[in-house]
Amino acid sequence: MRKKPSFWRVLRFLFLGFFVLISIGPLVWIVMSSFKSNREILSSAFSLPTSLDPIGYITALEMAPIFTFYKNSVIISALSTLLNVVAVSMAAYVLARHKFKGNTFILLMLSMSMLIPTASLLMPIYKIMTTLGLFNTRLCLILVYAALGLPTSLFIFRSYFQGIPKELEEAAYIDGAGFFRTFFTIVFPLAKPGLATGAILQFLTSWNEFMFALILTSSTEVRTLPLALNYFTSQFSFNFTAMFAALTMVILPSVVVYVLLQEQITSSMVDGAIKG
Amino acid sequence: MKKLLAVALAGMMMLGVLAGCGGGQEKAASGGSVVEINFPTHWVGISVTAPWFQERLSAFNEQYGDKIKVTVEEIAGDQNYVDKMKVLYSSKSLPDAISTGGYNLIDSMKDQLVDLTDYMDDEWRSRASDICWDVNSRDGKIYGIPYTRQVIGYFYNKDLFTKAGIDKPAETWDEFFSQCDKLLAAGITPLSMDTADSGWVTSLMLGAMIGQTEAGEAFMNTNLPTDYNTPEFIEAAGNIQKMFQKYTTPDAVGGAYENAASNFFMEETAIIANGPWMVSDFYDTSLVEDGFADKIGTAMYPGGVMYNSGKIGFNIASKDEKTLEATLTFVKFLTSEESQLKMLEMTGDTPAAEGLASDAVKPLVNEVMANGDAASRCINDFQSLWYANVIDEISVQYPLLARGQITPEQFAQALTDAAAKN
Repeated sequence: MRKKPSFWRVLRFLFLGFFVLISIGPLVWIVMSSFKSNREILSSAFSLPTSLDPIGYITALEMAPIFTFYKNSVIISALSTLLNVVAVSMAAYVLARHKFKGNTFILLMLSMSMLIPTASLLMPIYKIMTTLGLFNTRLCLILVYAALGLPTSLFIFRSYFQGIPKELEEAAYIDGAGFFRTFFTIVFPLAKPGLATGAILQFLTSWNEFMFALILTSSTEVRTLPLALNYFTSQFSFNFTAMFAALTMVILPSVVVYVLLQEQITSSMVDGAIKG
Repeated sequence: MKKLLAVALAGMMMLGVLAGCGGGQEKAASGGSVVEINFPTHWVGISVTAPWFQERLSAFNEQYGDKIKVTVEEIAGDQNYVDKMKVLYSSKSLPDAISTGGYNLIDSMKDQLVDLTDYMDDEWRSRASDICWDVNSRDGKIYGIPYTRQVIGYFYNKDLFTKAGIDKPAETWDEFFSQCDKLLAAGITPLSMDTADSGWVTSLMLGAMIGQTEAGEAFMNTNLPTDYNTPEFIEAAGNIQKMFQKYTTPDAVGGAYENAASNFFMEETAIIANGPWMVSDFYDTSLVEDGFADKIGTAMYPGGVMYNSGKIGFNIASKDEKTLEATLTFVKFLTSEESQLKMLEMTGDTPAAEGLASDAVKPLVNEVMANGDAASRCINDFQSLWYANVIDEISVQYPLLARGQITPEQFAQALTDAAAKN
């Protein structure tokens, strides 16, 4: 005989269902709207599309160089994350493990950059990049994004390194490993969950950044995805169908990557949180 | 040793990858006498002016391509454009030509803009009416080349007016508000309004109410007003508060132009203030029902008020004579009578030159232009004349005014305080 669902069981499903709805609802709505005409979106926002007309996607691709922007976003976000993780983890390790004169001062200086408003950095960074001849290059955005994420990554990495038992490194030194070997072969692999947390945050920051991408580039050849979405609304005109089609193209790959790697992502986030 | 070599090689590879990423900056192959100028534009993507600009750029390249290379930077979004110009200004790196589409950057940036007075000849001057040159001049010096005029009234839905028993647009503001009451009684929301992005639609109504008296008209034609504590302004702000609280849609507070326009397109509101560039949307069946344009009428604001003024045009910030000459050629081409006429036909924007007309224009556009000519009071729009930070402040203050959190007097004082910061 089947057991009748208990009140708590029903309540649990209702609760979970509610969270699934508010998490997935907007995404489904965006995909649905990308197949509706502007008029359909304006008149009945929650109705189902009457056809699977790809006109929104065709218009979006005609209006904005989405694929170029996509390629740039992937390259810039990936490389800025790599640079951030490699460089900041080394700094964080030294600051976590070695007590020397000025340790706290350096940590304070690096952390203080978190307090500077982004808007006030625009002009000086623009000046520096044009002087270095890096204006309108992907390298420029990679360097800026890696630097912007420095304080956050430093905090995460440093606290994670502090949680790793010192004895492991001492054992490595006794066995004859040098400083670099100990860091790269013992500490770095052990800190993977913490590094992954920092890397994910850094990647997301780079992926979504808008203002520096606008100011530090001038050609569509090096620009990134957040700038693409502005092609579909202007002061006196809008094309919601094309905008939702572009949004679908922008978010779907991230959603797919998240679904495929969700276990690794959530476990690294949780690990990072506990160790931090 | 091997390990050290491997690490060094890996480092070099990493640097190579990063350096490879620098490939985006491509220098123009400007051999010989080709002068390169740069022109950032927001006429891209969905912008109604994008097809006009593409057509004009092709025509320019065909005619001058062997002498002048125009490097176009696409900046999607009007506000993003202005934001980028502000950063470039503070870095003393303004591009050769700028066109903000109406935002007034002359007053805040004129020390880096070229005084164009000496480059003007009679033929070029004749391409725009005096009111257009006035808006683009400061202390007798010309800092902008106009190409369009602002002629703005309001559009109304004739079917909804008939349903509410209204036979023609109001001639006084009292009549206007009584028509709003009639529309409400017929179950129709009278007005499309907005607060975001300087509340364009709402601010047009505000300016039209201010401009109904002689003093108000003078205020609306004052460049960079600093005192908003005038009886006309406060009375108009009070009426705007009433409009927000009684006569508009719930999404007006916080909403942008898109919300206001959508409500009008879906026939959920009966009136929207805007310019003739909106007319092409009345025929776009992806936005409106087939035959929607036939239901639309044009009107002057009560008291015979119309926005009929110059508009900020092209500014030039070239840093040497050679690029200045090339930029002037480019701007001269884009502001020629042919270009203005094409703009009228392709976008519905009113030409800066007087007497330019075309048969290829939608009838509603011509109606708006005729209203502009017949208006008894002509005012300028806030985006052209008010300080940029005052325009930004409007979006902050409108929601407070709408919710009754501030009085019209406090609204006026907030804008006065913002103006005083300049």
